[in-house]
Parts: sequence; C-alpha cells; structure tokens
Amino acid sequence: MAKITNPEKGTWSNQVISEIQYKAENGKYRIRGCASPRKVPNFDDLMILPGQLTRMPIDTYREPCQTRTVLGPAAEAPLVIETPVMIAGMSFGALSKNAKIALAKATSLVGTVISNGEGGCLPEELENSYRQSIQILASRMGFHKDLLFKADMLEILFGIGAKPGLAGHLMGAKITEEISKIRQIPAGIDLHSHPRSGDSFGADDLVVKIEQLREMLHKKTDGHTPPIFAKIAAARVREDIKIAVKAGFDGVILDGCTAGTGAAPVMAADHLGIPIMPAAVQAVQTLEEIGAKDRVSLIISGGIKDGADLAKALAIGADAVAIGTAAMVAMGCCVCMNCQSGQCAFGIGTQVPELVQKLDIDEAAHKVANYIKAMTEEAILLAKAAGKTKLCNLEREDLRSMTLESCAMTGIPLAGSDFVFGHGFGFLAGAEL
Amino acid sequence: MEHIDAALIANKDLNPTVWSAIEKGAEEIFISNVHSMHYVLAGTDQPVKVTVEDSTGMYTCSYLENAEVRIKGNVGWYAGDNMVSGKLIVEKNTGCNVGAYIVGGDLVVYGSTGTRVGYGMKGGRIVIGGSAERWAGQMAMGGELIVLGTLGPGAGESMYQGKIFTRDPEAESKLGGNVAYSDITDEEAAELDTVFAEYGFEAQGKQFHVIRPFLDAAGKHTYTLFRPILEPEKAAKRRGK
Repeated sequence: MAKITNPEKGTWSNQVISEIQYKAENGKYRIRGCASPRKVPNFDDLMILPGQLTRMPIDTYREPCQTRTVLGPAAEAPLVIETPVMIAGMSFGALSKNAKIALAKATSLVGTVISNGEGGCLPEELENSYRQSIQILASRMGFHKDLLFKADMLEILFGIGAKPGLAGHLMGAKITEEISKIRQIPAGIDLHSHPRSGDSFGADDLVVKIEQLREMLHKKTDGHTPPIFAKIAAARVREDIKIAVKAGFDGVILDGCTAGTGAAPVMAADHLGIPIMPAAVQAVQTLEEIGAKDRVSLIISGGIKDGADLAKALAIGADAVAIGTAAMVAMGCCVCMNCQSGQCAFGIGTQVPELVQKLDIDEAAHKVANYIKAMTEEAILLAKAAGKTKLCNLEREDLRSMTLESCAMTGIPLAGSDFVFGHGFGFLAGAEL
Repeated sequence: MEHIDAALIANKDLNPTVWSAIEKGAEEIFISNVHSMHYVLAGTDQPVKVTVEDSTGMYTCSYLENAEVRIKGNVGWYAGDNMVSGKLIVEKNTGCNVGAYIVGGDLVVYGSTGTRVGYGMKGGRIVIGGSAERWAGQMAMGGELIVLGTLGPGAGESMYQGKIFTRDPEAESKLGGNVAYSDITDEEAAELDTVFAEYGFEAQGKQFHVIRPFLDAAGKHTYTLFRPILEPEKAAKRRGK
C-alpha cells in the first residue's frame, strides 16, 4: 500500500512536534529569544485615508510637518524629543556593550531617547545618549540612587510584552564577570529576575511611592523633575491604565505581546498578553474616559516596524512608539530567534568578546539613526497625504479597518461599508458613519 | 538641637522643612507629632542626626544617605528601602519589606518585623532584635541580615549573594529554595559580637548559624515549578508496590 507523502498534519505541525520532542527529551520548556512568531492582528490591518476633496493633502516634499514630541507634559521637566520614536529598554547583558553604545549614539544623531533596560546603565550609554530614560525594575539589578538624578525620564517597570507576568531571563552564557559585577549576581547562573517590586505591592503603595520619588527628585534636580512613566505589558489595559493614572504617573509605556526579548519561555511569548493594536485603542479610550489624555502620555511598543505603524499608532492616539527588535535588525540582526544562546554572530546579543568586536559601533549607530530617520519620514509622508502638518495631528478618523477582526477589536470603521463593529472608538458603534 | 513639631505641618511639607533646617546648619533635629506620616525623611542625604518622637508610616527613610535616624515608635512598610548609607534605628516594630533593596548603611530594628525583610538587599546590614516573618532576605544580592528572634518559613528564598545570621533553633526547617544552612566561622562570630556591642543586644556571635546561597552541582540556581520526576524506586513506593 502506498504511503501518504507530505500529509497535512493539522494541529501536529513540525513546530508542535519539535516542541513536544524538546520537552520529552529535556523535561523542561524551551527558552527562545526575540519575539513570538505567531500571527496576531496588527497595524497592517488598518489603512490611512488620504486627503482628496474633503481635505487637501500637504505637499510631501515642499511643506513642513512637525515631528517634535513632548512626553509627560504635566511633569516639571517634560521630555522633548525630535521624533516620536524611542529606543526601548534592552539590557546590557541581553545586548552587548557595543550594541548598547551604538543605540545610544543613534539617539544623539536623531534626537530621541533610549531606555537603559535591566541591569544598570553603562557610563558609555549615558555619555552618548541624546536623552536617557532610566528603568526602575523589580530586581533593581545594577540600579543605584544616583541614576535617578541623571535621567531625563523614569520608567517604573511592571511588565514586558514578551513575557508579561514574568521578568527578565538572562541565560548563564551571557552572565560574564562584568555583567555579574554590575548586577551583583554570580557569573554563569541562569537569571530569572523578580516580576514584582519589593517596594510597592499594590496601587495604594504606588501612590505614596511616586509622591516620595517626586519629592526627592524635585529637591535634587532643582525643580526639574523628569516625567515618571509606568511600563506595563498589555493585559487588562483599562484597569491598569486607570491605576497608573491614579498612582500619579506622567505617562504609560504599553508593551504588546509581540514585543521582543533576549530570552523568554516559548509558552510565555506565545500565550501571554494581547496585541498592541487593540491594547492601544483601549488605553486611549480609557485615558479619554477619565479625562487624562492631555496630561498622561502614551508610548506603545511591541512589533513596531515602520513609518506606517508609527503613523497609525499616532492616529489611534499614542504620543510615541518604542522600537527594540527593529533597531536590532537595523544593526544587522537577522531574527534567528537564538538570542538566548549568547552566540549572536553579529555581535549584538552576545557577550563573547570575539563576537562583540564584530559590531562596529559607529556604523551600527548610523544604521539605527538612518532607520529611525527613514521611518519618521515614512510617517511624515503618510501624515501629509492625510492633510496633516504635524505628526501628532493624525487622528482616528484618518483610519479604516481592513478586516472584520480589526474593526471589532479597534472600533475603527470597516473600509468600504464604513460600518462600525465592536465598541466604536469615538464612532457610533453598530452603525454606518 | 532643632525641634520640629510636625503636628502643624502637612505630610508633603515635612521633609522640605527638615531639609531647610539642615541647610541652615542644624546638626541634630528632634521631630515630634509625626503620627505615622509617610516617607518621613526619605531622600535625606546630609550628615545629620534626627530623632522622631513617635511612629512613622510607609517608606520611612527611603533612599537615606549619610544621616543617622532614630525612630522611637513603630514604622510602616518599606522602611529604609533603597537606603544607601547612614543609620536607621527603629526602637519598636516594623511592617513588611523593611530594608528592601538596601545598598549600604545599618538598619536596626529592636522589635520584630514583617515579611520579606531585606528583600533584594544588595549591601549594608540589617539587624532585627525580634522575629522576622516569612521570606526574610528573599532574593538578596549582598549584605548581611541578622535576626535574633525566630524566622518565618522560606528564609533566604532564592538569595543570589549575602548572608542571613540566625539563632532560631528551627531555622534549618524553615529554609527557602537555593539556600544552605551552615556553621558560623570564628571571623563571622567576632563580627557579630562587634555589632551586638555597638547596638546593645544581649547575644553572642557563636550562638548563630548562617544561611547562604546554594547553587547546584552545575553552579545553577534550581527552580521547582512542578514536582520533579521521581526515581523509579521512589515512584514504585508511591504506588504502594
């Protein structure tokens, strides 16, 4: 009897079989680098409406379009950057020193901000960055009080999109003597960071903690307290945003489930959290609902890849986006999804000295800067086509959904019928425009 | 000595009032009627001696640096969190997570403390005269935690570095994961004696044992998310065969 060749395996795809075999062999789940490969609804499911007779487009090549962005407008010293694209928090540890310095240098070339990530802030990063965001993480590894006073923006981290509910994983291969010294942990161990802060266990504690931080920062910065952001993974967005506002944050960084990471359990990356597109809509709606949209900034991240994503994010109501994996790709990363091994052949996600040297800092910095410049220009192109002279003037009315799914998730009218499924996002739900 | 009566000051104005007194040259300050205000003296970083007459609320002396502070009452949660240097002395009891992320300095509590004292501590010394509840020294990255009374379960859970000194006779049965219980060295006992003499505790270093981080044979921390697979003999025993 002839055997079936290349049968359709349904549930039992090669990847599923490979995962089962790995678990059977090792008695543990797999850790993987980079982001989840699963397909989720994203900004490609939205289209931007260009101006025609109802409104005039702005000349792409001859008329100006403002890109300057103010984050945390209610803070004593709001953060001003020249493009609404920031570099997301990626640790020295997950990334090599050369990669961290290159990213910092890139921010100076385009006038934006970089977040240090877990595990301290390299002096070279501080020295080379245009503006510096400092994360206060539950692990507090590499953190020192003095860093607070050097920050242009602070982020208290509650979750990361790639593994929400968990925290940093840094595999032993990357914990060199230098990393071990900075983080105050033994070299070579597999590090599983703290997912919950030891100095605030709830919303009420946070209110007091933020007051205390602000008071200390006000004194030490002579009244130039930087904005304090909450970085949260996209989950129960409405409730989390309300708590963040109640706690007194100047802004929220919302990280979707397709965010990148140096290492995460496959199950966490693939099954925890929600995509950034619907999460961003929920966040904006909530901020509007409680009257906080004008004073609390929203930065979104998790799979942002080009100027179209940026333009659509701004149109939904975000104030800026943060890029991580995309910046790594600009430096040369090929998304092999093996960051956890520490053997990155491009010198980006490794601590092996010979590999680290492969990344030319200045060349990588220019590539990242070029990429941010180009994606900002792409967003400008789309914004001008939609008739905007400022990127921040993009609005939800400029968007249409391409699928029933994205329409129902975002409340943005379906292209063609202009029918609004779902909750409506400033549009009348369950009706045509 | 400068006297500040907190009864007439709003919580948000207390620290600026203290800092203003320090800037004007006060070297010793006495604060009365604090009545459990939050983040009392947090962020204070000048070499000054401060005594607080009564109890304080959450985040007392957060990020403290250089100063010596004595609280004559109780303190709430997170006292001395992220403390950098100096001294924080509490005459009575404290809430939970005291000394979280402490980097340096001495934090001394004459009474008892709640859960997770010294959580993620990176340096410095914490001395608890009474008992310390569950998960003392959890995820510590350095420093020394000395507990004269009893320990709660899960002591030292997932410590990376640092030491917990205990004389709880049942301490060995209360250890968290990834730690080991060991004898104290003569050098460590002598160091404890110096600390006890300095702060007036009636104890001797040689009465203590030490809880230290423990890595497995491969030098790794071990984590148990699920009961491990048993050896065939043990599995047979479980089946009653």
